Amino acid sequence: MKTRVIIFFGLLVLIAAIFISACKKNDVQPGEPHNPTYIDLTIPAGWPTPTSDIFANNKLTEEGFQLGKKLFYDGKLSKDGNFPCASCHQQFAAFATFDHDFSHGFDNSFTTRNAPGLFNLAWMTKMHWDGGINHIEVQPLAPITAQNEMAETIDNVLNKLRADTEYPALFKSAFGNTDINSQRMLKALAQFMGSIISSNSKYDKVQRGEASFTATEQNGYDLFKAKCETCHKEPLFTDNSFRNTGLAVNPFLNDFGRMRITNDKNDSLKFKVPSLRNVMLTFPYAHDGRFYSIGAAIDHYRTGIITTQPTLDPLLVNRIAITNTQKNDLIYFLNTLTDTTMTKAARFAQ
Amino acid sequence: MMKINTLLVCCFLSLVMISCQKAISPNTATGTVKITIRNTVKGNPMVLNTGNYTNSFGEQYNITKFKYYLSNVSVTTTPINTFNGRYYLIDQSNPASLSFSFEAPVDTYYSLKFLIGVDSARNVSGAQTGALDPLNDMFWTWNSGYIMAKMEGNSPQSPVVNNKVEYHIGGFAGTNSVLKNYGFIITDPAGINIREGKISEIFMDADFDTWWQGVFNLKIADNPVVTTPGVLAKSISDNYVSMFSITDIKNY
Ligand code: HEC
Ligand code: HEC
Repeated sequence: MKTRVIIFFGLLVLIAAIFISACKKNDVQPGEPHNPTYIDLTIPAGWPTPTSDIFANNKLTEEGFQLGKKLFYDGKLSKDGNFPCASCHQQFAAFATFDHDFSHGFDNSFTTRNAPGLFNLAWMTKMHWDGGINHIEVQPLAPITAQNEMAETIDNVLNKLRADTEYPALFKSAFGNTDINSQRMLKALAQFMGSIISSNSKYDKVQRGEASFTATEQNGYDLFKAKCETCHKEPLFTDNSFRNTGLAVNPFLNDFGRMRITNDKNDSLKFKVPSLRNVMLTFPYAHDGRFYSIGAAIDHYRTGIITTQPTLDPLLVNRIAITNTQKNDLIYFLNTLTDTTMTKAARFAQ
Repeated sequence: MMKINTLLVCCFLSLVMISCQKAISPNTATGTVKITIRNTVKGNPMVLNTGNYTNSFGEQYNITKFKYYLSNVSVTTTPINTFNGRYYLIDQSNPASLSFSFEAPVDTYYSLKFLIGVDSARNVSGAQTGALDPLNDMFWTWNSGYIMAKMEGNSPQSPVVNNKVEYHIGGFAGTNSVLKNYGFIITDPAGINIREGKISEIFMDADFDTWWQGVFNLKIADNPVVTTPGVLAKSISDNYVSMFSITDIKNY
């Protein structure tokens, strides 16, 4: 009797197991377990939670991150092999283009805007100076296909990746099988870019009580909170809004910023408030890189603002009064925003 | 002993049931709705490249590309709404794209609904595949969002380079959204009569000539190129919303 019962239960368990495994969702071919290493994006203490989770439909994994990193540094994504993402987004310059107002693109061309640094993108609600990009995953489509950047087609890029000796295996470890398609490529790039967090500058250490400002830095910080904070909001040093700071229109570019996206004349000459983290590394400054030094950028607020532009930000109609001493203090403070932990991190390096 | 046995059997069975829940299809019998589209110009089948057309303003043109998205396609009858979360890219150069099918519970339906375009949620949700893959050349890279409908061609009346005519119609947010819900009430008493395992085929025409007039008169000479969201794109969509007509329904 006993053995009969045991056999009976054994059978039941077997049947149940077969049913259960048969009924599992079948994303991965049977016999090929896909066990990626899931990782979490660590939100620095005291920071706001990102308004939308960029990894909600793109589970962050070590394999996805590594694939994204390889893609970011790979010239194959450009037409002639010379313009990987990293050619314009250099780690030592906080992923901006070092010392260039405009970056070099395919066939001796220039970009028409200054390349911003890439970090803390998980908090960025809209990308590009005009906010035209609404999701981190679709951003790479712009540089890859732009004639003055990487000048390639998505189709060609995918074919190059499929023909490569390494990529099929990397896509498999990230996504479960060797299929290479645009969605997977874009999601992997998003995993890499979205993971770059800058939160270990001297400023951050001061906030955490691990360091203290000098008197000059503290004066600069106080001034910053009084005059700049509304737009360059801590801890990200941007409020993600679009504003006109009263810059003259560059007649070569005729760039009216946000208006191109919204078609609303109230948005004329508005550009995204850039983060000032790592600002000492991301010169030249402004959407067209017109200011070659941080001093020149600050002087704009003191004396350069064109106050007759109808869409000028109300905060700037009287310009910003800053004495020479205060300007000096401010620069000392901005220096504390440089995060060499990020710019030297092996994890983000090629 | 017997008692424990039954209990355990029940346990196992319910375990099996739970794990299988997703796979078990509802008991309702279903049939297939097949939609077949014919793109036309003034009632004649559209011929890409070589077809020569004249609009009601006397402007001549040809068409080299003609594609558009349909989504949220459903047949409805109270209380059934066969919501279909798929996206279809109708492309005149790809005959396979001109018809598509989905399942619906057995019933008689008197209405067909769809959205012309890609709903706004999908425009802000990152990288997509299938009909929504950016490879289909229906995604703006510099101003994220789908081109909902696209026509390209040439016209001697176009003042721009190579006499190009280019309409890339999109924009999913705000007052200039081009997204259009469209529906047909079917008056034929036979309706769309879905029977188990059978196909009901709905034949629709989509007439390009509607793009030029209807709500707004839009001449090639004035607007040869519309490739950004905005008032003009919205006006064209206000015209093209009436592009569709049902020409026949066959209940097999
Ligand atoms: C030829 C130089 C160049 C290349 C190559 C390039 N970028 Fe950029 N990148 C730029 C410029 C210039 C901008 C600013 C564009 C704008 O605002 O219109 C930018 C902006 C961005 C932004 C938005 C940042 C922000 O603050 O809004 C991201 C993200 C980005 N690039 C990622 C990438 C990725 C990923 C690649 C590779 C697939 C890449 N870039 C390749 C020059 C480049
Ligand atoms: C009204 C909002 C506002 C205020 C106040 C403001 N900024 Fe800005 N800031 C902006 C915007 C918008 C830009 C981008 C301008 C452009 O490129 O068109 C910018 C750009 C900058 C840049 C260039 C950064 C880069 O990477 O290109 C620096 C540096 C800067 N601001 C510093 C300051 C300082 C210092 C203060 C306070 C004295 C300040 N800002 C006050 C909105 C503001």
